[in-house]
Amino acid sequence: MILVSFDIDGTLEEGDPPGILTMDFVRQVKGEGLLVGSCSDRPISAQRALWARHGIDVDFAVSKHMLGEVKASFDAEVYYHIGDREDLDKRPAEQAGFRFLWPHEAVAMPWTKTGSVRP
Amino acid sequence: MARGGRAAMSTPAPASVYRSGEGLGLWEHRGKVAAVGIGHSPTARRWDGKPANSVGGISLAALRGAIEDSGVDPADVDGLVMDPTTTTGAFWPQGKPLPWDAINAYERTDDPLDGITRLSAEWMLKNMPELTGVQFTRYGMGCMSSAICVAAQAVGDGRTHTCLVLKSWHNLEGRYYQGGANAGNAIPGSSAIRSLWGTPACFGTAVQFAEYCRKYGKSHDMMAPFIENSRNNGLKFPEGYWAQHRPEEITPEDYKAARWIAKPANLFDNDMPIMVSAAYLFTTAERARQLKQKPVYILNHASSRTRPRSLTPTLDEVEEDTARTARKIYEGAGITAADLSFENMYDGFALFHQFHIEGLGYRGIKFGEALDFYQTDISIGGPNPVSPSGGNIGCGRSRFWMHTDCIQQIQRRASSRQVTGVKPEVAVSGGPMPLGGNFTVWSSTPG
Amino acid sequence: MKQGVDPDDLTRPFWEAANEGRLVIQYCADCDRLQHPPGRTCHACGSGDTLQWRQVSGRGRIYNYGVVHDCPIRLLQEDQPFNAAVVTLEEDPGIQMYSHLPGTPVDEVPVGEAVEVVFEATANGQKVPEWRVAGAQR
Ligand SMILES: [Zn+2]
Repeated sequence: MILVSFDIDGTLEEGDPPGILTMDFVRQVKGEGLLVGSCSDRPISAQRALWARHGIDVDFAVSKHMLGEVKASFDAEVYYHIGDREDLDKRPAEQAGFRFLWPHEAVAMPWTKTGSVRP
Repeated sequence: MARGGRAAMSTPAPASVYRSGEGLGLWEHRGKVAAVGIGHSPTARRWDGKPANSVGGISLAALRGAIEDSGVDPADVDGLVMDPTTTTGAFWPQGKPLPWDAINAYERTDDPLDGITRLSAEWMLKNMPELTGVQFTRYGMGCMSSAICVAAQAVGDGRTHTCLVLKSWHNLEGRYYQGGANAGNAIPGSSAIRSLWGTPACFGTAVQFAEYCRKYGKSHDMMAPFIENSRNNGLKFPEGYWAQHRPEEITPEDYKAARWIAKPANLFDNDMPIMVSAAYLFTTAERARQLKQKPVYILNHASSRTRPRSLTPTLDEVEEDTARTARKIYEGAGITAADLSFENMYDGFALFHQFHIEGLGYRGIKFGEALDFYQTDISIGGPNPVSPSGGNIGCGRSRFWMHTDCIQQIQRRASSRQVTGVKPEVAVSGGPMPLGGNFTVWSSTPG
Repeated sequence: MKQGVDPDDLTRPFWEAANEGRLVIQYCADCDRLQHPPGRTCHACGSGDTLQWRQVSGRGRIYNYGVVHDCPIRLLQEDQPFNAAVVTLEEDPGIQMYSHLPGTPVDEVPVGEAVEVVFEATANGQKVPEWRVAGAQR
């Protein structure tokens, strides 16, 4: 099992600012059978509302500092966090035992398909 | 009038304009100055590079909005009070090409970044040819709260009879407080005495709040209803950032799950920098009665200029000064705490709002009681509205929502945010800090 | 690691003393009053001529603290979260200094406890006063 955590702002197209990853990209990763969720500075209730608005049934939605709890709650071989910030995504992800991917790296992963990046 | 020439000499108002002393008695212009018009620009998280969305562009929108809202002839405007500083922490990066498209879209001054990362009265007047009568310009430094004091005093003193009051903020790409010296290795000795320890902007407030919790046996979780209420009110403020762009509530669960910035201050105790501009039109009470909006009379303005003894104010210093500020506010306005219909003290950072309202003795609360008060009905529908504007927590960082809200509430045009549990008659707004702020008392009647 | 320091005219005596392992604080001889941070004039009487530098004992107490999780300085971000305490001087509890409280576990800060000054090197070698809980192991 692979778990993928998405930052929102600066990472997803729905972010503020918008990132390069589309909601279709997330939907497709989810469709591959991976565990998928968000880890963001947005209120958890707002993260859940965002996913509900796009009809994506995520496995978790947590605050920025909670990746360790995600890892403890889900059994996976590999944990990824995708984000756009060195200090708020990369460092805490690696501290929590996640592999970190910038958005442009995420689209090149074997569990993704091409054509799901915002132009 | 020599528009550009006159405005080029704009200077900060002298310290004597601000009513910072105690025992000054009733304000000599109590009830003789009124706010009649409001104009707001749209909000944005950051500048997108378009000329109309530059800090100059949004200021034009706000000023023209205030003129139109009040129904005055632009030619009758004879004063402009504003803050020439517009940064939320963002500066134009050294070496980055200047945004000439935006600069050249307007009449410019000698400084190409005027209208982009700062704003002079000269720039404003060059770009508002309809303002043919402005003969008084002055700077109220720091935020709208100080500009209001300067403008109110100027109208009262007869230096201007129809005065625009403006505050604008720019925000650029990049992270807040990450530029400048923070990125380098060596910092100047004077600033090193504070900044070597890497304390974020909210640190002073965070430790005051920590001291408060230890002294009174309170906890950070007790702030949750305040945050929830502020955001709810902000989502009812159509001019605000969160209402316009991201209608997100902050539930108590969201608040308690937020990461710390400087414990005990978390992410949602901090406000978010945005771009926005607001303008008001102040005039004399006599002229106000001829205009289209209901006048909101200014009963007093008061200021705190207290400095802490050392690096950061202690709780004792905070409480002493908020109590002193309240005495000044009430004395000059000729009111008591019992006269307040609601309060709109500043909240950026959320963790000092209680210092302001305990100092005021709002609804009779004493030092150490505000967090318990927050557990009661503090909504706009109840008898004890707290921060009906939603403040910076509810609307984004501007330091002026509370003033707009006081005016709108008393004019009874605060839309779905209108207080319903009290009659909106007398209110107080101001900030920013408990030590070092400027405050205004607004009223539906001249006194 | 803390950022380096470029001493300026106002604060040079403070930093030079720190490099010698001494803590000096600005002092107004007329007011008989310490002041910190340093200023060009005395905050009480406004005089600039009466200001001197006075060595203090280097003993103090922890007055208050917070825990920094999101620091604006890149060099310190590696150390997050870290303690940031407000220490007051034995000679005058109105005088505060910041401290990372080396040796004190994060968020286990004994408010009210006695502390002693130590001098810690910054990124450019300039030493800076820091504080340890008195009697704590180096
Ligand atoms: Zn003195």
